[in-house]
Amino acid sequence: MEPLTWTGSLGTILNPVFGIAIALYLVAVVVQNVMAFIAGPVTLQANPDGTLQSRGGVIGMLETASKYLLLVIVAALLAYIIIPLFMGYGQAGIVGEMSKRFLPVWIALVVLFVVSICYKRRLGLYGKLFDSTVGMIGFALVMFWVFTALFFGVFDWIATHDYLSQVSGLKNKVPGVPVPEGTEGLLPHYLLGGDNLARDVFSRMVAGSTFVIAIAPLATLFAFMVGITLGLPAGYYGGKLDTVLSFLANLILAFPVILLFYLLVTPEIVQTGIPSYMAAFLFFFPLIFFFVLLNSRYYTQPAKRTAIMIPVLGILGWLYLSVINQRGTVINFLPPWLDGFDITVLVVFVSVVFVNAPTVFRIVRGLTLDLRTRDYVAAAQTRGEGAWYIMLWEILPNARGPLIVDFCLRIGYTTILLGTLGFFGLGLPPESPDWGSTINEGRKLLLVFAHPALPPALALMSLVLGLNLLADGLREESLKD
Amino acid sequence: MATQDPTQPILEIDKLSISFFTRLREIPAVMDFSATVMPGEALGLVGESGCGKSTVALGVMQDLGVNGRIVGGSIKFKGEDLNEMSPERLRDIRGSEIAMIYQEPMASLNPAMKIGKQLMEVPMIHEGIGEKEAYARALEVVTDVKLPDPERMLKSYPHQLSGGQQQRIVIAMALMANPSLLILDEPTTALDVTVEAAVVELVKDLGKKYGTSMLFISHNLGLVLETCDRICVMYSGEAVERGSIEDVFDTMQHPYTQALFRSIPLPGADKNARPLVAIPGNFPLPHERPQGCNFGPRCDYFEAGRCDQGFIPMEIVPGNDRHQTRCLKFQEIDWNAPLQVTETHEKPEPGPVVLKMDNLKKYYEVAANALFGGGDKKVVKANETLSFEARESETLAIVGESGCGKSTFAKVLMGLETATDGQILLDNRSIGETAIEERDTKTVSDIQMVFQNPFDTLNPSMTVGRQIIRALEIFGIGENDAERKDRMLKLLDLVKLPRAFADRMPRQLSGGQKQRVGIARAFAGDARIVVADEPVSALDVSVQAAVTDLLMEIQREHKTTLLFISHDLSIVRYLSDRVMVMYLGHVVELGTTDQVFAPPYHPYTEALLSAVPIADTSVEKQHIVLEGDIPSAMNPPSGCPFQTRCRWKSKVGDLCEREVPPVRMLADGHQIKCHLSDADLADMQPVIQIAAE
Repeated sequence: MEPLTWTGSLGTILNPVFGIAIALYLVAVVVQNVMAFIAGPVTLQANPDGTLQSRGGVIGMLETASKYLLLVIVAALLAYIIIPLFMGYGQAGIVGEMSKRFLPVWIALVVLFVVSICYKRRLGLYGKLFDSTVGMIGFALVMFWVFTALFFGVFDWIATHDYLSQVSGLKNKVPGVPVPEGTEGLLPHYLLGGDNLARDVFSRMVAGSTFVIAIAPLATLFAFMVGITLGLPAGYYGGKLDTVLSFLANLILAFPVILLFYLLVTPEIVQTGIPSYMAAFLFFFPLIFFFVLLNSRYYTQPAKRTAIMIPVLGILGWLYLSVINQRGTVINFLPPWLDGFDITVLVVFVSVVFVNAPTVFRIVRGLTLDLRTRDYVAAAQTRGEGAWYIMLWEILPNARGPLIVDFCLRIGYTTILLGTLGFFGLGLPPESPDWGSTINEGRKLLLVFAHPALPPALALMSLVLGLNLLADGLREESLKD
Repeated sequence: MATQDPTQPILEIDKLSISFFTRLREIPAVMDFSATVMPGEALGLVGESGCGKSTVALGVMQDLGVNGRIVGGSIKFKGEDLNEMSPERLRDIRGSEIAMIYQEPMASLNPAMKIGKQLMEVPMIHEGIGEKEAYARALEVVTDVKLPDPERMLKSYPHQLSGGQQQRIVIAMALMANPSLLILDEPTTALDVTVEAAVVELVKDLGKKYGTSMLFISHNLGLVLETCDRICVMYSGEAVERGSIEDVFDTMQHPYTQALFRSIPLPGADKNARPLVAIPGNFPLPHERPQGCNFGPRCDYFEAGRCDQGFIPMEIVPGNDRHQTRCLKFQEIDWNAPLQVTETHEKPEPGPVVLKMDNLKKYYEVAANALFGGGDKKVVKANETLSFEARESETLAIVGESGCGKSTFAKVLMGLETATDGQILLDNRSIGETAIEERDTKTVSDIQMVFQNPFDTLNPSMTVGRQIIRALEIFGIGENDAERKDRMLKLLDLVKLPRAFADRMPRQLSGGQKQRVGIARAFAGDARIVVADEPVSALDVSVQAAVTDLLMEIQREHKTTLLFISHDLSIVRYLSDRVMVMYLGHVVELGTTDQVFAPPYHPYTEALLSAVPIADTSVEKQHIVLEGDIPSAMNPPSGCPFQTRCRWKSKVGDLCEREVPPVRMLADGHQIKCHLSDADLADMQPVIQIAAE
């Protein structure tokens, strides 16, 4: 087997086009910025038929030119992805083969976007996202990794080799290296080369996405539950409660995060049971949250309340017990048949929730302080509603805008945090494919072999970038109209 | 400043059309709008919210934002077309030749800069004069806007001044460059009535002194009558009528203008004998305007096949000075035909006493340092010895400006706060010390409230129906969901909203509709006492009448006791049976409507009456302008609370400064808190007189 080149035969035409377009585009942008100081401004003229026309001199021309160049670049990028789908194995090089591996993700993305854009007027804030280019790019990046994680996690698609198996002779081999006879997985090549333990870098990157996508949003969600359950009363009642809770939040925020992580994962500390107790404490908040949420809403109709509350709290309670009950730790009282699952990364989970919750608390508290002065809150008070109903049903839904935006941003931080934890090897098994650990592995030989560390780093960057763009788009669109 | 030919207009707007471009469509905000402002003339621009009056002002300033564009017509300022000016020239003109005063004074001032610096900036930028000269000019202008202690004013930051003082500073800033055109966009809406009267007076005087032309934008016809020479009435993006104040007010030639006047409570209107006539229907949305006449669907004189065909131009009304109207039928309509009174109601007899306040006091303790609780504690006396009775199916109006303690009183009555001293008796049960959590459901549902701000009164993320059903659930009405749903639909019928509104979100409703939902919610538990906290003050004039009438109608049917909190004396006179005037926590006057609105007055009532602008040219008012602002409740004056601003104080002497006046009974049920002697009180002249026709 021949080693694969980066773009194969496709590159002979596409690479020069792509390069020239990018160079021209950069030149155009620079010239445009320089000319803005010299040339006259672009004026907009409204025509009687209601259309707009821009009349511009040199700047107008440059704007048009850079617009078309950008289109050429985007078209070239699309060509890199689409054309290889119709070419035979290996002809389009590594890029082409990767594009083929991601085919289910492309299809899912296209379907999602077509459906969403068709019905965007009926989809509320989510639909409005498709009016913002930035938001769409962000959403596409995020969904790319979500689908990758989903297809790998559920169907075992996309990855080409087992992410743990080592193939002798492929240690630190460059991208496109052929695999010896008899050890091929789905492909006869390591697309992005082998790492220092001769494992497939591409497959490890794909596998890592599942880890990140599964943990980050969930941990953020827990942090939000804790933050909301504490932030609402602090803002609503104010006074001493607010002072005490805010002080505690500041205390946690002032503590060095990395040190906290180190402490939490130290075996001696784990043995004392502190992380388990913290988990028992922190994960109890969602239960409180849902109990209060439903109780305040339905307490006037006891029969209905009981009917809804028993299944919801039953399932949540079982999940709660399963999560905190870990074999080999201090909390281990459930009989094995009742203990649904063990979370191997409980410590990571606890630390992420612990450091994120205070920030969420402060945001929720601030929003509540503002919203509690509204007339509809006064109206609820004057008809004798309980404090928790007002907080959870009158105030919280109206604070959702900033909270959704912060949620997106915070998943990004959490992803980075997970990367940091992995990088320091905290709380995760050494062979874990998560991006942080992989980057740390690759770091050791970075100057000699850059290829094992770069793919997970780029993956992490693109996901966090996507989340930030998505949050930007959401914020922008939620402010409109 | 270049001298201006007095025969040439300062501002000439010709067939102006302005559109906003959204991602869905183009929204025409102003269409075919023409207006001329001559030197020294004040033009009033009147219309309901959304009619495009502020857009015209922004168009003149060429400040329409990214989405707005002038799509046709021209705006000529001293003969120069503003549309074709370069940005540099526009910057030159703005602030020096055309100045604008906005609604919210605090938002127009830079909070991080001292007043003096902000004022001096104007001539320093536009005329390039030195700092000393600019300071002298600032001092002069601040003196002109009648602010006390100008030098100290220049050294203070905006937040150290009261709202009225801030607005005066904004006016001063606009005058710094001696502009030839002043645009005022609802300059007094955020101010209290007595402060508003003083600011309006000031604007009028300054206009005369400096010879400035003014474009005065307001929704308040009375205010325009007091300040302007000419008026332009706008409806749905178009000017529908314009002319001199006298022509438009006395011989109006457009059905909308007529309907507008019929929907505002003028002296003489009576809720039973001569009710207000609300304009039927709703204001059309900009993209749903009808064919032909925009006002057609709501017009009494509408003629199908004629009024709904094509464009309707402005036509000149013969005989009057520059009086034009956008109506095809203005020459056929009999404008003097008396109003058809459709239905009159029997005045309901007040029943037994339902609510009794006995020496109610509410004090707040304000600690100097909230965190550690140390330091001095100050006592804010929000309500001082409040005593009155309210009967079944009676309307008791509570009148006063911000800070007079009416909201605190409402809070104590509702149970959100408990009384410091005294009693509230509901059917002879004391509820003053019971907080709302401890009240039983019946008591809670008996006393309900309608709130002021329609945009705030409904939870934006819950459907209308759901919010009413929630109130029913809480009050324990209905056995199951179906029964409650049925009752909710009946409540929507009660407030005359279509049943389909149950599934709507509040943002899909107009202000008036939201206020109706708020009323439906208040009556969900068959409330016997409803506290209406300025329920219509945030609504447009034509909607106000409809909502007020609705409240009255429900009150008649349910024999509700209505506590109507308001600062608008015209509407109070129209609908209330008894009036209570409050000032800084004290009840200064209490009596039947006729007693309070006729002399002898309490000096504060007198000033309030004089301050309210009345849109009727036949009304003659005594001008009483109160000096200064309302004192802070944290630091009330000694003796009589009103003594710092009272114009009768000299008749009594220093007694006013030493003692709080006792409550005096003047006539049966008419009480007053004043030191003035009987002879002085008897000497008072009526503030409002309707000239004989």
